[in-house]
This record gives sequence, C-alpha cells and structure tokens, in this order.
Amino acid sequence: MKKKQNQRRADKGIPLLLSIILVFGILGAVVFSVARRLSAEMSASAIQNLSESLELMKGTIEAILLKEAEFQKMIAYEIAENDRPVEFVRSYNRNQTMVKISLVLPGESSGISNTGESFSEDELDFSAGGTVDGLPISRSYINYMGTWAYSMKCPVEKDGQEIGTLYIEYIYDSLDKSLPNGFYNGKAMLYIMDATSERLVLKPRGIGERDAGHLNLEDFYRANNITEEYIRAEVAACVKSGKNILFYHDIRDKSALNYMWAVNGGSIYLIGYVPVEAIQQEGKTVSHNIFMVVIIMLVAFLLCCVLFYFNQRQQSRIRQEREAEREIHNKRLAEALQAAQMANHSKTTFLSNMSHDIRTPMNAVLGFTTLLARDAENPEKVREYTKKIMASGNHLLSLINDILDVSKIESGKVVLSVEEFTLNDMISSVDAMIRPMAVARGQSFYVEVSDVKHEYLMGDVTRINQILINLLSNAVKYTQEGGKIWLRMIGLKQRSSQYEHIRIEVEDNGYGMTPEYLKTIFDAFTRAENSTTNKVQGTGLGMAITKNIVELMGGTIDVSSQIGKGSLFKVDLEFRIPEGQMDRKFWENSRIARILAVEHDEEVCKNIQTLMQDTGVPVDIARSEAEALKQIHERSGKEGYHMLLIDWEQPDTEAAGTAERLRAALPEPVPVLFLADSGAVGAEEALPLEHAGVLTKPFFVSALKEKLIEMQAERTAEAKTEAVGSENLQGLHFLAAEDNEINAEILSEILAMEGADCEIVENGQLAVERFAKAREGEFDAILMDVQMPVMNGYDATRAIRGLERRDAGEVPIIAMTANAFAEDEKEALDAGMNVHLAKPIDIVLLKRIIKQYVKKG
Amino acid sequence: MERRRQKRGLKKIAAICLAGAAVLLLAACSGGKNEDQGIIISDSGKRMIVNLFGPMEKSNPDARNIARSAFDRTVMMAEEKLGLTVEYRTYTAENYQDKTYDDVTLDRARNNMDDLYLLNPDTIQKLGEEGRLLDLSDLDCAKNLRETVKIANCVDGKLVAIPQEVVAHGLFVNKTLFDQYDLSLPETPEDLLECCRVLKENGIETPIGANRWWLENFVFAQAYADLYNGGNTAAEIEALNQGESRYSDYMRPGFEFLQQLIDLGYIDAEAAYTYEAIEGEGPDFLAQKTPIVMAYWSAANADTAYGKPDFELQVIGFPSSRGQMPVVSMTGYAIGAEAEHLEDTKKVLEIILSDEALLLYAETNHVISPSKNVEVECIPALKPLNDRLHENVYVLGSNAGMKVEQWGNTCLIVRKLLNGATVDECMAEFDRLQEESLKE
Repeated sequence: MKKKQNQRRADKGIPLLLSIILVFGILGAVVFSVARRLSAEMSASAIQNLSESLELMKGTIEAILLKEAEFQKMIAYEIAENDRPVEFVRSYNRNQTMVKISLVLPGESSGISNTGESFSEDELDFSAGGTVDGLPISRSYINYMGTWAYSMKCPVEKDGQEIGTLYIEYIYDSLDKSLPNGFYNGKAMLYIMDATSERLVLKPRGIGERDAGHLNLEDFYRANNITEEYIRAEVAACVKSGKNILFYHDIRDKSALNYMWAVNGGSIYLIGYVPVEAIQQEGKTVSHNIFMVVIIMLVAFLLCCVLFYFNQRQQSRIRQEREAEREIHNKRLAEALQAAQMANHSKTTFLSNMSHDIRTPMNAVLGFTTLLARDAENPEKVREYTKKIMASGNHLLSLINDILDVSKIESGKVVLSVEEFTLNDMISSVDAMIRPMAVARGQSFYVEVSDVKHEYLMGDVTRINQILINLLSNAVKYTQEGGKIWLRMIGLKQRSSQYEHIRIEVEDNGYGMTPEYLKTIFDAFTRAENSTTNKVQGTGLGMAITKNIVELMGGTIDVSSQIGKGSLFKVDLEFRIPEGQMDRKFWENSRIARILAVEHDEEVCKNIQTLMQDTGVPVDIARSEAEALKQIHERSGKEGYHMLLIDWEQPDTEAAGTAERLRAALPEPVPVLFLADSGAVGAEEALPLEHAGVLTKPFFVSALKEKLIEMQAERTAEAKTEAVGSENLQGLHFLAAEDNEINAEILSEILAMEGADCEIVENGQLAVERFAKAREGEFDAILMDVQMPVMNGYDATRAIRGLERRDAGEVPIIAMTANAFAEDEKEALDAGMNVHLAKPIDIVLLKRIIKQYVKKG
Repeated sequence: MERRRQKRGLKKIAAICLAGAAVLLLAACSGGKNEDQGIIISDSGKRMIVNLFGPMEKSNPDARNIARSAFDRTVMMAEEKLGLTVEYRTYTAENYQDKTYDDVTLDRARNNMDDLYLLNPDTIQKLGEEGRLLDLSDLDCAKNLRETVKIANCVDGKLVAIPQEVVAHGLFVNKTLFDQYDLSLPETPEDLLECCRVLKENGIETPIGANRWWLENFVFAQAYADLYNGGNTAAEIEALNQGESRYSDYMRPGFEFLQQLIDLGYIDAEAAYTYEAIEGEGPDFLAQKTPIVMAYWSAANADTAYGKPDFELQVIGFPSSRGQMPVVSMTGYAIGAEAEHLEDTKKVLEIILSDEALLLYAETNHVISPSKNVEVECIPALKPLNDRLHENVYVLGSNAGMKVEQWGNTCLIVRKLLNGATVDECMAEFDRLQEESLKE
C-alpha cells in the first residue's frame, strides 16, 4: 500500500521534471538553431567581406599594372619618336615605380639600361606567359636594388617596324602604398606571391609577423601548419589555372579563413589568412551574448531543478510526516477500538455480574416485602424483615454509588478538593471504620507510622480516605477470620522540601491473588472469582476507583500477592506541606518545654522524636520505667520534664503505676498521656488518674495537641454535654416537592413517624405556587427534590428566594436528591438551598439537619 | 524548525536570483549615449616610420623565439618612446643559389632603400668603405661601447655600426658523450683530431656537425690566435693592410686543418655546404648523433637552438695553439648615410643601443653586451667560453680595420674548400683579395 502511494507520488514528480527538461530542451534547441543560423550567416558574410576586400585590392593592383603597361607603351612611343633612343633611355632617372629602363635593339643580344649597365633579356624569365595589357610580364626576381621586381617588355615600333624592345623594371614596393596599411586591423596576413616561383614578393607595411612564413608558399604552409595534402593540391590546381581559392584552416589554434586570390589572370596572387574573429568582430559579441543566454538558461534550468528537488523533498517529508501521523492515529484508533472492545466485553461481563448482583438484593427486598405483607401482624417478623430489607437496600445503594464513582472518575469530572488535613484525623477516621469490621471478623488490625516528618498536609482527605478504605475493606474482606491486617504510613525521602513523600502500605495475610488476576486487578468491572471469595459481595469497581484516584493525585499504586500468603498494596503519594503549620507558641503557652517518653518499641520512639522535631520540644526516650527514673534524676537541677508519654503496654509493669511513680519523682505534677493501641483494654482506667489521658497509637502531634487542649479545658471548666437525638420533629410542617410518588410517600411516612406533617407537590412550579400562597411561617422548611418535571429544584429554589415575602429568603430549603456528588451539593447551595441531603433519606441525618436549620425545632 | 530553516534558505536563494535577474535586466536595458550622433571622424594623419632592413620579421609579443624577441623588445621600447613605427623589411634566401642576405643588403643600402640596416661584418666594412653608412660616433650610445667593439666597427676612423650583442662563437660539445668515451675537452687542433678519432672509432659517423656559415671559425681561431693575443695586434694588422704580410700565411693552417677534418671524415663537406646554420646540423646534435657543433653564444640560451639539451652541454673556444679560442664577431646596426628618415632613425638607434635597452637585451638573451656598463650572468654551459672572454683571450671574426673583409670572404672561401677546392686554391683567393685591397 505504502509502496503504491510512493509510486504514485513518484509518478506525479517525474512528468513535472520531464516537462521542465522538455521546456529547456526546446529552448536549448531554439538557441542552438539560432546560433547555428547566425554562425552560418556570419560565415557567409565573412567570406563575402573578405572577397570584397580582396577584389578591391586585386582591382587596385591590376589598375596599377595596367597603368604601368600603358605608360610603358607611351615611353616606347616616345623612344620611337626620338631620334636618339639610346640617349633617351640613358637619360631616364628612375622613379619609385619604374626603377630601370632597358632597350635592346633588334638583332642584338644585349642592350643598354638607364643604370649604365648592359642589359640582356636572358636575365629575365618571360616563360610563364603572363601579360598586362598585351605586354609580357616577367617572373619576379630580386633586382639590383635588393628588392623584388618584375619587368614588362614592349616593342618599340616606328612606322610599323620594330626598332627595338623596351624593358622596364617595376618594383613591388611601389604597390605597397596602394595596399591597406594593416589588413583587418593588423590581425590578417597578406602577401603578394609570384605565381610562377611561388615566392612571396611583397609584404605590405603593417602586415606580417615572424612565424607567418614569409619566404614562399611552402614556407607559408609550414609556418601555418597547413599539411593537408588535399588543400595543397587544391591550391596548386587553382594557382595553376589562375582561380581564386578560400579555405578554412586553423592558424595558431584560431579558426582562420585562408585565401589565394589571383591578380592579373593569375600571374601574381594575394595570399594570406584572416582570423575569423577579425572578420566577425560583431560575431564574437553575438557568440558571447548567445553563450551568456545559454549560461543563464543553464543556471535557470539548474535553479529550477534545485527548486524542484527541494520542493519534492519537502513534499516528500510532509507526506512522510502525515503518513507517520496517520499511522500513529490509526494505531491509536486500533488501540482505542481494542480497548473499547475490551471495555465492551468487560461491561457485558459486568452487566451480567451486575444483573446478578442487583437482582440478588432486589430479590431479597421484594421477597421480604412479600413476607412483610403476609406477616404484617407479627411485629417481630416485621422488624426482622425490615432489617433484612434495609441491609439489602444498603448493599444496593453502595453498588450504585460505586458505579457512579467509576463513571465520574473515568469521564474526568472528578475535581480534587485540596485542603489541609492531619494524618492523625485521617488515620483515626479510617481506623474507626475498619477496626470494627476487622474486629467483627476476628482479625487483628495494626496501624504503624514511621519516618513521617510532617503530619499536617494538604490533600483531598476524602479521596485519600476512600483509597485507604477501599484497600483496607478489601483486606478485611479477603482475609480469613483471625487473620492480620497492617496499615503502614512510611515517610520516604523527600523529593522536594515542600512535599512530604509518603508510602501507604496495606498488607494482609489473607487469601492472596493469582498472578493472572494481579494483571487485571486495577481494571474496571473485574472481580476475583473463586470459590472462596464468591461469598464476598462487591461491585468489582473498588480497585479501579482506587487506582484512578491515586493517579489523579499524581501517585502510584503497586501490588504484590501470593496465593494463600496474603497481599501487599503500596501507594506512593506526595502531599504538599502547608506553610507555618507548627504553632510553637502553643507549646510555650502550654508550658511544655521537654517531654519524657517511656516506650519500649524503638520504631514508636523514633516516630515520636521525628514528629516532635518541628515543634521545638525535645523528647527524651526511656525504654523502661527504671531508665525513665534515671533520666528524671539526671535532669534534676536542670529544666525538668513537663509531660510524660507512657506506653500503655509496659512489658513488665502496669502503665498506671509507672505513671504514678514517675510523676512522684518529678518536682511538680505533670500531665501524663498513655500511648495505647486503639481499643486497648483498660486504657480508660488511666483516666481517673489526675491530669492524665489516653492517646491512641500511632502517635501524632495533632492528637497530642488536641488531647492537651481537652485536658486543659477539663481543668478550667466543667464540660458541657449536649443531649442530642432524644427529640423528635413534633409539630413541624413541611412543604415537599417530590415527583416520585413512592419517594413522596416514604418521606411523608417518615416525617409522620416523627410527628411532623408534610404537604407534597409534584414539581418545582407547584412548590413555588404553593409557597407563594402559604401564609408567612406556614412551612417550617421546604424539602426539595432536584430532578423534577416542569421546573427543577434549583429553579424552584431560585424562584422561591426571589418571591417578595419576608420569609422567602429565610425559609430553610433542604435539597433531597439522588445527585450525590460534591458538584451537585455546590450547585444546590448556589441556587439558594440551605443544605444538600443525598437520597435515600437517612432519617437520623434528616432530623439533625432539620433541627439545625429550623428555628422552631 | 528544520523546515522553517529550509524555507528561509529557499527564500534567500529566490531573493538572490531575483536580484541577479534585476541587475541583468537593468544592464540589458541601459544603453550608452549616442555621443557622436552618427558622425565618425577618421584620423588619417601620417604615422612616422623608420624602415629597418634585417633578416627577420617583426615578432609578436608572444613569439616563441626569445632570442629574437629581445631585439623586438628594444624596438618596442623605441616605438613607445618616440611614437613611431619601425617597419621591418626582410629578405631570406630560399636556397644557397639565391642572392645572399648580404648581397641584398648591399644592393639595398647602395640604393638607399631603407633607413636602418642590420649588417654582417663584411657588409659593414664594404658599405663603410663606400661611405654609405652614417658615422655614429656622435651618438650618446656610442660612448658606452667597449673598445673592442669600437675597433671592430670602425672604417676609416668612422664608427659605422654598433652591435646589440657581442657574438662569441664557440664549439658546442656534448660533454656527456665526451665523458662516456673518457675524452677531455680539446685545447689544440691536435686534441680535437684525437677526440674525433676516438668518437669515430666508437661509431659516431660525423663527429663534427657543420653548416655553410660557421666553419670559418676554425680558421680564424688558428689564424689570428697570435695576432690578437700576441700584444702586437695593431702592427700586424697594419702590415696586412700594407701588404707586408699575407693573409694566406695566417689562414693556411686553419684551412689545412679543415681539409684534414674533411679528409678524415670528421666533417661531412657535402652536407655542410648545403646546411643552413643550426637547422642542418642542430637536430643531429640534439639527438646526440653528433657530439660537436659550432654556434654563437646565445644559441646555448635560446629555446629554438641548444638551450635545453638532454645531455650536459659545454661551450668552449675553438682549438688553437693558444688553447681554446672564442671567435668574436659582431652584426651591427648601421644607418644609411642618405636615409629617408635620418633623424628619426638616429633617435631609434639611440634608444635600442642605450644601456637600458642593452641591459634588457643582454638579460633576455644572456649574451655579452657591447656596452661596458652592462654585465649579466651566464649559464654554466657557457662558463668555459665566458672565462676566456674575461681573460681577454679571443680572436675577432671580423675587423673593419682590416682592408680585406674577413668574415664574409673567409666564409665564401671555406665554401669553396667544401666544394672541392684545394687549400692552395683557397690561399690564392686570399692573395687575390689582398692584392685588390692594396690597389684601392
């Protein structure tokens, strides 16, 4: 699948790349084509340009030759007309063109020259057959002046008879002035070559360089490395036939146009070469510009490729990231699906369990209700049945509460209510709840505290209690009768000075759990099922709730267990230490500066010292009465002890006696507190002892403080006791809003049992209307259900509070609702209700609340 | 984070490209002002020219032959300073049957064809005697010349030519090969004969590579070793000029020695008669087929001659009774007495023969400068020759003070020897020349 996707993406990228290549390919082809066309045109133009230049020079030279011939004819004519031709010739002074005139008379082999030397035609070579204007022209030669020259001969005729032959020598130097000074800006080479001898006879001014080959045609070929036989043959053929020839050949690694241009019918040649760049000066610029265009195109192309590459890479990366995200998402979805399926399966199992668990108490309720109807006349049976119905109902209620709790935690609606608490209060309340259960099952319940440095802490004490109760009640449930259960509070190393790190351990030596069950113990809707525990009733939600709460508090929970040996739960939690918790002044005011503790258990001693460290009150430890007495004596003369803490269970002696003896040893009577296990037999006996009390183990400073305050209060004043619970609700008149007829009837009956009467309305709207119509003070309180049709309890309360009656703001409104969470209570109070009471109605609680809020009561 | 950085990088690249494109666009759109408004005025003013006749074409600045370009560089110096152009006119004989460069030079000088000439010693003497050359004594550059140079170029008391270098000819010896055959460098003619014998016996067909120009050096070395180094030079020359002593008497031992070399097959006379200098015998010398050749000083420096041999090269003097003897000759620059551009030509000569130019020349070609103010180091191969020159031990190959021109005539007579003439016939030619000189 992934491969296919990649393939598809690659398929998308390749056409784009091909398109770019195609576009640049076309552009390149166009540029190449234009460049070639330009090159061809420039080449043609170069050839034309050079041809025209050579033609011009050819024309010039031929014109000079022609003029020379014409002039020679004129001189011949002059000689013919002259009576003394020899003297005429001798008297001639050479000029820049004609450097020598010679005359040979008919029949003579030699003649005379203007130079004074004799002249013979044998010195000249007319064999090539070249002519100018009909006059034969000789082969070139080095003349008496040391320069290249040629001669033309012209018959001297008089009256139609030849009276001699006139030879005039011309020098090539004379042509120099008619030729360009520097051909093609000095870059071109130009020579005049005698066609017959192939000697280079003139190098015009400004032309020529050392390596050009200035001797003859062969030297020209050699110097310019023209070795190709076909070129040489072609040139030879052209020179022989008097034709012009141009050919390209590199001269000194530069492309050059070489030329052999026939003058005067091929008797002499203009030869040389022109570098192409010299002819096509503009061509260089054009080539340069084309080159620049090509470079720019190439750069643009490369840039496009680079951008394309980066774009593709980026796209690819984005795709990969998306792919990875999708995979993670899919994985999570799969996990969620699996979890949902598992949850669904668990819930199905749970529903099945619940069906059984709910039906069981319901069956009991309905069954006993039937029995109740039958045995209504038998008060004993009625009481018995009612008791059983009550038990089943309570079980059903706890079942429902747990379900609601789990759903609440799992949906994240639980908000921790962090407040200050003391470990003492927490352990006391848990102890109060668990110990009776353990005692009922004949089990021993031990509470131990060690290394805890702070007992005043910040946390949600209700939820912590819930954790402890869950764990401990399970321990009680799953431990056989006569077993042992330990609750340990162990202070761990603090990670931060602001937090107390505590490990709570709950251990039992009960049935234990299988390794398989341990894996799912914290999952919701699971419950250990075996023949032993089947007898135990439970929702199977307790551990899930516990784990959720622990994690909500940022802690961890761990369990280890062995079948038949028991289980150990470890809960690690961190609690914030409240600021300024230690009230040192309390100890000063209580005049307690030093305490003597008589305790044989080392752990307990260490615990006392640790906890008392922050109070600033030193605690001396004595392991026995004798040691205590010794210490008292040692401190005589110094500041003595202001309090005695004595272990109730002294190994050898009776604690009360020890207290008396120790107190006697002290200079003044000091308060004595006995440290006793919860429910220790005989502890109360110590109470008659003056200025003494019992402190339940484990030791806590807060408990000590409370006890001291209590003892101080006892010493200063008589305790006032209040009789509670003996009075009923006689004569009170309530308005109750309740849509459920049964609940309404129950409420009505309960209140009637207490001597109060109640007027029921079916919804909030009716309640508002009824209260509005009632005379002032008619109702002592309004009992308000929350979930009702037409108008709910909150709205009804707000409406009542909003009525313009004097008692509208005063009449107590008590919420009676199945919405039993803290948020519900807050909403109720916000709506204007005085108090929130969760259903089902606890008549004792209801009575207490009514008494609290109803003045008449 | 990474992506953002890449995006930023891409943006930078795009911005640079855009800026580049903008610059190109602006450059393309900006056109130069039409300052001339379409009117073009051509400067057709006449350029000053000095015509130089010499054996070589003008070289490009990047010419390969540095030995030659040294002269061009001094000419360039003059052109730049004077703002004129030195036009080169050249002649090279196509073959030995053609008119020689010297013949053409004579013709041209006599017909006043050029302004400045590069002349061989014989033509200097001839043209000087004919009064066709300007007296250069007044030039500033002449004041710095070595006395030897002045003597060699004076005709009838006039300094008619000045060289750019003192050309010392010597024997170029393949020292590696000599060492191989355990030969020491020859001092006397007998030594050389012995060396040639050993070399010949060891399979070297022609121990001495010769050309048609420079064999006379053997003759001069033997002929004038005593004349120039005996302390009576002026008197001996005067005796020759007066006919009191004969050139043939001086020349005979050298010619007989050459004849001996030819007869023993140490020199290939036929080949030598047709060989141009270096071009003929040079390749065999470089290929170590021929262990001995003769050449001029700077040939040991020049890339085109014997500058980079694959063996150890030593340049020594020619064998003589006084040991190794360098033969010094000078090609000089002369101005036509009736030169068309006389003043400009004198200025050119002042510059190209100034100490500055001569230093440039000497440094470029590693040659002996005619100026007494210019001294340059020589390469190790030239040390034997240089040592002799510093000892003032040498003979002149040309001397304008001798009535009979030496360099050219001896060269021609040696060619006759190569062509089969006897030593006596050659001596008769010297006698004839001396007779003619005495008539003038």
